[in-house]
Amino acid sequence: MLRGSGAVLAVMLVTSSWLVIQAPLDAMQGVIQKILYVHVPCAFASYAGFFLTALGSGLYLWKREDRYDRLALAGAEVGVVFCTLTLVSGPIWAKGTWGQWWVWDPRLTVTLLLWFLYLAYLLLRSFTEGSERTARFAAVYGLMGSLAIPLNYYAIELFGGSAMHPDNLERGSLGQGMGLPFLMSVLTGLVAVWYLVVARLDLENLRLQSAARLGGYPRT
Amino acid sequence: MRVAAAIFWKDLLIEWRSRDRVVAMLLFSLLTVMVFHFSLPGGATAKTQAMAPGLLWIAYVFSALFGLGRSFSLELENDALSGLALAPTDRGWILLGKVSANLVILGVAQAVTALVFALVFDLTLLPVAPAFAGIVLLGSLGLCTVGTFFSAIAVQTRFREVMLPLLLLPVLWPLLLAAVRATSALLAGEEVPSEAIQLLIVSDATYLIVSFLSFDFILDD
Amino acid sequence: MSRALIEARGLCKRFGHVEALAGLDLTLNAGECLALLGPNGAGKSTLLRIIAGLARPSDGSLSIDGAAAHERTARRRIGYIGHASLLYPELSARENLIFAGRLYEVADPHGRADQLLSEEGLGDVGQRPVSGFSRGMAQRIAIARGLVHEPDVLLLDEPFTGLDRRAARRLENRLDALRQTGHTLILVTHDVASAARLAQHVLVLSEGRTVHESRGPLEPEALERIYVDALEDAP
Repeated sequence: MLRGSGAVLAVMLVTSSWLVIQAPLDAMQGVIQKILYVHVPCAFASYAGFFLTALGSGLYLWKREDRYDRLALAGAEVGVVFCTLTLVSGPIWAKGTWGQWWVWDPRLTVTLLLWFLYLAYLLLRSFTEGSERTARFAAVYGLMGSLAIPLNYYAIELFGGSAMHPDNLERGSLGQGMGLPFLMSVLTGLVAVWYLVVARLDLENLRLQSAARLGGYPRT
Repeated sequence: MRVAAAIFWKDLLIEWRSRDRVVAMLLFSLLTVMVFHFSLPGGATAKTQAMAPGLLWIAYVFSALFGLGRSFSLELENDALSGLALAPTDRGWILLGKVSANLVILGVAQAVTALVFALVFDLTLLPVAPAFAGIVLLGSLGLCTVGTFFSAIAVQTRFREVMLPLLLLPVLWPLLLAAVRATSALLAGEEVPSEAIQLLIVSDATYLIVSFLSFDFILDD
Repeated sequence: MSRALIEARGLCKRFGHVEALAGLDLTLNAGECLALLGPNGAGKSTLLRIIAGLARPSDGSLSIDGAAAHERTARRRIGYIGHASLLYPELSARENLIFAGRLYEVADPHGRADQLLSEEGLGDVGQRPVSGFSRGMAQRIAIARGLVHEPDVLLLDEPFTGLDRRAARRLENRLDALRQTGHTLILVTHDVASAARLAQHVLVLSEGRTVHESRGPLEPEALERIYVDALEDAP
């Protein structure tokens, strides 16, 4: 699975990059608009990561099987990276177009909160002793966090600051010729999540195997 | 249900004997109020009055963090937590007992803080006191529910004092936003937006139900 | 043949890579007194906590009179006295017992607390905060706490630790009286002599596994020999 997804990712990266370079320049924003092809996939990737964490957490609490906890952890580690990239690429684009590094817009604020949730989740895991307890606590926090996201979004929608973030997810809102590169880069982002999560799970399996061998206990 | 009541009274009795939590929370809030007052130029102006609701809720959250941590650390002595876990009842009731005790203890500190705030920032609190109390209660219910729940987690990890604010603040954000908006509107003499109240009620209900149902996972080993 | 009161099959408990219990079987009948012996880290406390419903096994099954151990019906029948006293130092002995009574939804917590205090002969110190109690006195309140809901199964984790000879003798008599009134006892202890006097069923654990099991009354020296032999043969 690792090599397969890696191969797919490599192909998609090459294709997307070519398409992005070929894509027409935006009439108003110029070349900086091309950050879109990085920023949006990263955002989607971070949501995908969080979805995996929430899914793994729920399944772990239901079935109590370690592999679901590993999925939750992999989702969080991959997700936090993409979330960081989103929060970095966003302000770069924002400064280039709106002239400001940051505004308290709903989507930005929710992404920032997601980032804090990720961090809290990962820190909780580091500071809890005992792997079963860690898995349990992290799973509960993962689920609580996923409840907080819609509540946060609703709250900030109602009371938050200006809605400056482009809200255009409808067809045709992108310029001519940008649809395909956009779609490809989003898909690339999701495949990247898939590849990285699989790689992380593989790594975790190897780690457990070598620990078990060193510890001398039979692998269950 | 009676188990929750037993824990409620037990926590209040322990707090009454030592009074350490409520005094610490009160001192902390008052210090926060003083710091805010000094750092805002010109005393009670229209500008500072507009900021007052946000500052008040910051003071409330900080003092809650202070007091909620202690809620479960007192159960660590002599492994009293296992004593609670042994009780033949749905473990969610244990959480509810502690949440209600924390609400009362926090409420005492909050009431005094509100009075001092009103004095320092020259706010007209008295005419809207019942509505104000209602909003604070709704906000604090969510604060105490999630705070007590995460305190049970934090107390079983390393660096528990750091862990609680870390876990709590991202989850608490929507509640705080709604509470501050509602308080703002109330103190400015405007109509409190109903969406704020709705959001408070929905958040409180969601967090209460989920915490009640998941508390078993926190006490299980 | 009556169903065994406590039945464990293939119990495993893992903490990370450490296997505290590695496939343990146990059958305990009502009214028996079982002594659990073994070196530190053998899994005795873990087993007790799982039976009490304080921990869940990673694998295997455990039933208490047909119900799973963590269910409420099982918890109602079990009294647990652990390493720690489970008492609140800020409260008095009486208040601690009343609270425990309420946790178990006992009919008259106040009356029961007074009854337990007088049974233990501690009526006059009942109002004092537990923080001022000696180890022996705190132990007696802890045992009273374990009995507040009149359980028929009592689990005790190293109750003799830290007790002077008089207190240990008093405890042994107490446990003997409970045994004779039909209670089921599981006693984790390093005190082989007391174990031999109280128990007719002995289980020696090492590294999460049973290394010796025997039924029937034993002389202390015989039990000592079995204990030492079992540990020498253990992996």
